Amino acid sequence: MAALPTDSGWWPAAGARFFCTAGRGLEPFLMREVRARLAATQVEYISGKVFFTTCSDLNMLKKLKSAERLFLLIKKQFPLNVSSVSKGKIFNEMQRLVNDDPESWLSAISIWKNLLELDAKEDKLSQRDANPLKRKVEENDIINPKKLKTKQMQELQESRECQLEKQMEEATVEQGDFLTNREKSQEAFQNDVVKAVAAPNQKDLTFRVSCRCSGSMAKTFTAQEVGRVIGIALKKQFGWKADLRNPNLEIFIHLNDIYSVVGIPVFRVPLASRAYIKTAGLRSTIAWAMASLAEIKAGALVLDPMCGLGTILLEAAKEWPDVYYVGADVSDSQLLGACDNLKAAGLQDKIELLKVSVIELPLPSESVDIIISDIPFGKKFKLGKDIKNILQEMERVLHVGGTIVLLLSEDHHRRLQDCEPGGIPRNSKGSHTDEPGIEKCLNPGGKTDLSDTVSSSAETGGQGDLDKMPPFGSLVPVDHYRVSLGRTGAFICRYRKSPSSGR
Amino acid sequence: MKLLTHNLLSSHVRGVGPRGFPLRLQATEVRINPVEFNPDFVARMIPKVEWAALLEAADTLHLVEVPKGPIEGYEHDEKFLRQMHHVLLEVRTGPSLASLATAG
Repeated sequence: MAALPTDSGWWPAAGARFFCTAGRGLEPFLMREVRARLAATQVEYISGKVFFTTCSDLNMLKKLKSAERLFLLIKKQFPLNVSSVSKGKIFNEMQRLVNDDPESWLSAISIWKNLLELDAKEDKLSQRDANPLKRKVEENDIINPKKLKTKQMQELQESRECQLEKQMEEATVEQGDFLTNREKSQEAFQNDVVKAVAAPNQKDLTFRVSCRCSGSMAKTFTAQEVGRVIGIALKKQFGWKADLRNPNLEIFIHLNDIYSVVGIPVFRVPLASRAYIKTAGLRSTIAWAMASLAEIKAGALVLDPMCGLGTILLEAAKEWPDVYYVGADVSDSQLLGACDNLKAAGLQDKIELLKVSVIELPLPSESVDIIISDIPFGKKFKLGKDIKNILQEMERVLHVGGTIVLLLSEDHHRRLQDCEPGGIPRNSKGSHTDEPGIEKCLNPGGKTDLSDTVSSSAETGGQGDLDKMPPFGSLVPVDHYRVSLGRTGAFICRYRKSPSSGR
Repeated sequence: MKLLTHNLLSSHVRGVGPRGFPLRLQATEVRINPVEFNPDFVARMIPKVEWAALLEAADTLHLVEVPKGPIEGYEHDEKFLRQMHHVLLEVRTGPSLASLATAG
């Protein structure tokens, strides 16, 4: 890989540069999402991170669904050379990350502050416009916690010089009484805003450094060592104070064999942990990715016949609300959990839950437009016959032209491929790679998105009769993506129901 | 469940196949649950409705103001859409988790 140029963010014309971490296999989904949702440019996937430039504000950034965490980029450059050089020399290299170009640090931090300030202003505006009547009533009654925050922010912004520390502490204490756990994380974020806005000049910033070392870096250094070196360099260069407990500014550094990346985490809570999901079953990022493949359109009937806690339906309903969602499961406890989740997310009007079995769906044939489901893994589900029955029933209720997106364990996936005499060629270009998306993503043109994948699998399909053999009746495989579920891997598989031959 | 869902399920009873099960509605179990009106969404649901089953259900539940069938140009007829919205999405039968036993 050629040397990577250093990046620094500009504001506001070209937008700011960010990067996201993503679960293995979700990178193509994330790249597509940032382009679609944030009109992102200069989108690159390099060694586990997706880099992109966008003018979007925090409100839009917050909506990213296939990312783990989001960072504002301070610096991305050459990996540090650990081969034959002394440790001392490498420490010097690390210091240069800070000292060579302090401007890039300061401009990134000012972008970060701008983002938070803009968000605070939008929050204020939306509350002012929201309900003038309501506010009048509340002045006499219970204090609305949200309103309290706004007032406090106003006060703080107006009196920057006087006793900022003390006021911030008081704000935190008072708000603690009103807020629920979920809101606390939002509150923590608002506190970030207050602190960022309130620090009158850069010198008063407190910071904390989090380090990650991988590859050969990890063999030579510990994260703590690196953190210490960088921390000292920052103190010397900018005069900031370290605060390990509650800093204004978090700095994230990742050193590996491909690059050295420095960034500022934009949100305290990972994007992958959703405020609207009470109890997650399947990982939300994967659930959303599956829904994004299903080509959900307004007015569709979307079914999850093994919905469990309803995670897939929740993610889909949040993103595509004008759709008729039905979830089914045989387990009472799961359905109760799903019901709870729907209520907590305010989606009980959009999603219907039924206690029925996936192999005996009480639905007319060809009545469903889209099926999305996480096929249970594990010993409870016997391979072979069960999978066959499930797929047959799904196929029955699906409209011709309808889409099925399934999450299959490696075993199920292999079993489905083996079922057919011809099978699906494993290395058909564009539909299956071992390194999820890496080959495609390092294209110089940078044009990697899912539409490419679909077209190339259609191409290879035309080349041989093998691809034309569907696993079951009229279900034709479209594409599949290997994703990581932490310790295990799985496949997101998409099928389409073609006009059946003799059924 | 929404009457829209009940309609979908009961259409299956009339449909082809050995699977069938009772979906008897009881007038005492009806609740009305206000839902935000979305004309586009309702318009898209109309083609999915099995009218015979819907009218039978409406009769059993003593619902009034139920259109007898899709009228021409229903996509732009707000009165029709609002009525259908009410019938399909706001009328709820039984508990929110439907326990459906398959017969035989």
